[in-house]
Amino acid sequence: MTGETSSQMALRDPDIRLMLRVRDDDAEAFAQLVNLYQHRLVTVMGHLVGSGHEAEDLAQEVFLRIYRARKKYHPKAKFSTWLFSIANHLAHNHFRNRQRKHSVQLPGSESGPLGPRPAEQLVHDRGPAPSQRLQEQELAAVVQQAIGTLNERQRVAIVLNKFEDMNYAEIAEVMELTVKGVKSLLCRARDNLRVALRDYIYMQDSQTTEEVRDVDAQ
Amino acid sequence: MSTLNDDDRANLSAYLDGELDEQTAHALEAKLHHDADARAEFEALKRTMGLLDYLPKVEPSPTFTNRTLERLSLQTLQTLHASSRSTKIPVRPPRAWLRWAGWAAAVLVALIAGAAAGHFLTRPAPASAVEDPLIENLRLAERFALYQELDDFEFLEQLADLFEEEAGS
Repeated sequence: MTGETSSQMALRDPDIRLMLRVRDDDAEAFAQLVNLYQHRLVTVMGHLVGSGHEAEDLAQEVFLRIYRARKKYHPKAKFSTWLFSIANHLAHNHFRNRQRKHSVQLPGSESGPLGPRPAEQLVHDRGPAPSQRLQEQELAAVVQQAIGTLNERQRVAIVLNKFEDMNYAEIAEVMELTVKGVKSLLCRARDNLRVALRDYIYMQDSQTTEEVRDVDAQ
Repeated sequence: MSTLNDDDRANLSAYLDGELDEQTAHALEAKLHHDADARAEFEALKRTMGLLDYLPKVEPSPTFTNRTLERLSLQTLQTLHASSRSTKIPVRPPRAWLRWAGWAAAVLVALIAGAAAGHFLTRPAPASAVEDPLIENLRLAERFALYQELDDFEFLEQLADLFEEEAGS
């Protein structure tokens, strides 16, 4: 979108057109943007900060900031890039405030809907094999905990890449980094995740092998 | 021992994201072809990224939009009220509708005064609370000072309509 005029961007991006209507105090356009982006924004915030309640509060704050900034809005990028830039800033402020309060709440804590079970209870439980769905829930919790071991920037990059399907240039714009910086950041983040999840990487294979053995034995 | 260096590892990650140019991608593929340890590292990375598929989507609560609009409306009112109290510059001349509102306020005060006088003099028993003019106009009278500060009442009306739609849906 570099070098494009606002009109050209508005032609390509329907969300920019909506935001231009918000700039002109169109309340319905603002409500449409909230409806369009709430799921994506709450998902991203949820995986960044962990608590469902905090994720919604932060997501609301993103929308409020967008509204307050509406009169100065001049599209220079996709609307979603701008929205997630604001989300990134708010998440950063949230992490900083949390550190100051010495909060021990980690992403995926039990206070939110993403509460994990302790990792040691997973996989090594040799009782009756849980249902596939339960296994997936437990794996989700383990992965969420692993995400929580990443530093803030690694977490943001991973979540934006995973849930927003952003390419490196888009992530760079949101996080105010270079493309090379994003490449390096994602590499380190995935390396850290690989270490945190080393016991689970081949879990699906071993489960499949066990299932085949069970079938053979019957 | 894998022959991959740090740049290669970063390229592995970028390769899986489809972010490598053709030349760099081919060079990496050639390395993987000849190095079993590198292939194992590549496989582990791919599986790690695959595990992220287990992360759930976080759904907002059903009232999220409504609460966001409500919060916006409240903040707008508070901001307007605070800024008009703190400003030292002359208040802009009221728009036509505010002059009308001023006239209506005068009529309202007269009505309330008359109703109060009639209420206390004759003490009729209202058929319902809604018919009592004091109660019927109380909300307007209570918030009139705030409504006077508004510069964009039409926007708030639009928000109110949206609240009703959201509540009804």
